[in-house]
Amino acid sequence: MLAPSIDRPSSMTAQPALLAVRDLTVDYGGVRAVGGITLHVGRGEIVGLIGPNGAGKSSALNAISGDVPASGGTVVLNGRDVTRLAAYRRSRLGLGRTFQTAKVFEGLTVYEGLVTAVRGASGASLWQTIIGRGRRLEEEQAGERAWRMLDQAGLDHIADLFGRELSGGQRRFVDLTLALIKEPQMLVLDEPMVGVAPSLVPRLLNQLRSVAAQGTGILIVEHALEVVAALCDRVVVMAAGQVIAQGTYDEIAADTEVRRAYLS
Amino acid sequence: MSAFVSISLVYLAIYTLSAWSLNLQYGYAGIINFGWIVFQSIGAYVAATTALGSPTSGGFQTYIFGARLGFPLPLIMGTLAGAALALLLGLIILTRRIRPDFQAIIMLVVAIIAAEVVSTNTALFNGANGLSNVPQPFNGVMHLSYNNYQWFFVAFSFALCIIVYFGLEWICRSSWGRALRAMREDDILASHVGINVQALRIVVFVIGGAIAGFSGALLVEFLGTWSPDAWSFVESFVVFVSVYVGGRANNRGAIIGAFLVPVVFGTMPSFLPEFGYPGLSANLEWLVIAALWLTTFYLRPAGILPEGRFIARRTRAREQAPVMPPIAKQGSVA
Ligand SMILES: Nc1ncnc2c1ncn2[C@@H]1O[C@H](COP(=O)(O)OP(=O)(O)O)[C@@H](O)[C@H]1O
Ligand SMILES: [Mg+2]
Repeated sequence: MLAPSIDRPSSMTAQPALLAVRDLTVDYGGVRAVGGITLHVGRGEIVGLIGPNGAGKSSALNAISGDVPASGGTVVLNGRDVTRLAAYRRSRLGLGRTFQTAKVFEGLTVYEGLVTAVRGASGASLWQTIIGRGRRLEEEQAGERAWRMLDQAGLDHIADLFGRELSGGQRRFVDLTLALIKEPQMLVLDEPMVGVAPSLVPRLLNQLRSVAAQGTGILIVEHALEVVAALCDRVVVMAAGQVIAQGTYDEIAADTEVRRAYLS
Repeated sequence: MSAFVSISLVYLAIYTLSAWSLNLQYGYAGIINFGWIVFQSIGAYVAATTALGSPTSGGFQTYIFGARLGFPLPLIMGTLAGAALALLLGLIILTRRIRPDFQAIIMLVVAIIAAEVVSTNTALFNGANGLSNVPQPFNGVMHLSYNNYQWFFVAFSFALCIIVYFGLEWICRSSWGRALRAMREDDILASHVGINVQALRIVVFVIGGAIAGFSGALLVEFLGTWSPDAWSFVESFVVFVSVYVGGRANNRGAIIGAFLVPVVFGTMPSFLPEFGYPGLSANLEWLVIAALWLTTFYLRPAGILPEGRFIARRTRAREQAPVMPPIAKQGSVA
């Protein structure tokens, strides 16, 4: 199956967006971190979200993934309004995410964590565990899937390490793999390159490209502009909780307002 | 001497069930239940009142919902009571709105208030005097001597422990048990792999509550009495220390913890000759238990039998398959 090829300019109108965020606001007590942003991501599209520290990028991602409540606006995933849904429901609907500070299950082995991610809801159901319908088989298949992901990255030797025993780069890999292993339709990444050895960055970029080529939409917060330029189909620029520019990398690079936001 | 050994062994069984219950909630699922004793206690009270018969028949004690049910119904009722209370309190306390450390404190406060309410309100479970004369299972029909009945109860409670052990091990080693541990490690990450953390917390809390209620029911059937003195809030910490010393998230460790903490070290001070002010040697129990906890922290932070590492094995199908990239379109975009 080949992913639909996407022309950059026409992708905004061609088909309903995979992820559509409208007028999203996030408040922490009295502090407005996100002040009504609108953005969308299409199938197979890689959208960069950039902006200075404190612009509200992580807050926006957290509201999209269901980790903080939106105080206004809507988040629509695949045509379905998920604004009020808990994070686990969004995950079951095909939303995967990584975290600015990479999260792994510290006291589970890498293998256990990956298998837990593949099993997801059914693995955590006591009822399904007790009646045991297809449990063995599902566990075996999940195990094979975990091995495959580890093999592909050449990291099968970390399978039995506890999360707390991993290096910074390995943590990034496991955090991303926990999100990828269920083949999410929409992937939300918060600075996934931080802590990854520079020599491994091209490989990670290739992996993200091939994920997108299979139809997954990706929204990625990234500070390194060369990474954004190399990876993203489109870029959304945030400053002080607002979207101040959207477009291709070349377009926003030429934008004077963007330059001002980055310089100040 | 025989009576001392048999009573100790029954206590070992009860405390083992207790440690398993808390180990499931805390060791596996990470729920800090400082009010654990309340769940054991309601199991004991309900088992007692459902075995004692109606309180209106001119008895000397007052209590609610009396019934005279035959074995094993009081045990089952006590178990269900523990589960029901856990469901109720779980739904109220284990919510996202309340931080886990506050949840722990609320549980503790619930335990203190519950003991106060039950002590002062004689209509519930006969107040501070508690319930007594609870009939012992099979004692009427078997005509055993006191000693033999004690030993019968040892065998009975050990048999029940073995059943509970295998049931617990089975669910703890399943994908469900792994999901508990994932939730304990990071509930946000767990929810992003599709686990309904709130529901899972309630489910495991209820199962732990059921085992706690069961342990209380079994204990009251053995002792024949239950009163607020038996379930002061500090009793929860005895069980916590058992879980810590034995090793969190290890059901065999919980047996060792139950043996060492309440049964061996906890009862040791009572063998000392009476000294100091009256009751001093009894209070030493708490010093000994606290010392055990601290010693564990320094010497074996993960407990005597730690959780252990799961070693993944490739399935046979996988080993035989040629090792090649299974997904064809990989890295094609450069
Ligand atoms: N949990 C929080 N509570 C209160 N304020 C927060 C919280 N998280 C972020 N903020 C504030 O919201 C603003 C946006 O933060 P963030 O979304 O992390 O920005 P970015 O990811 O773009 O650096 C900042 O002013 C930050 O201090
Ligand atoms: Mg951020």
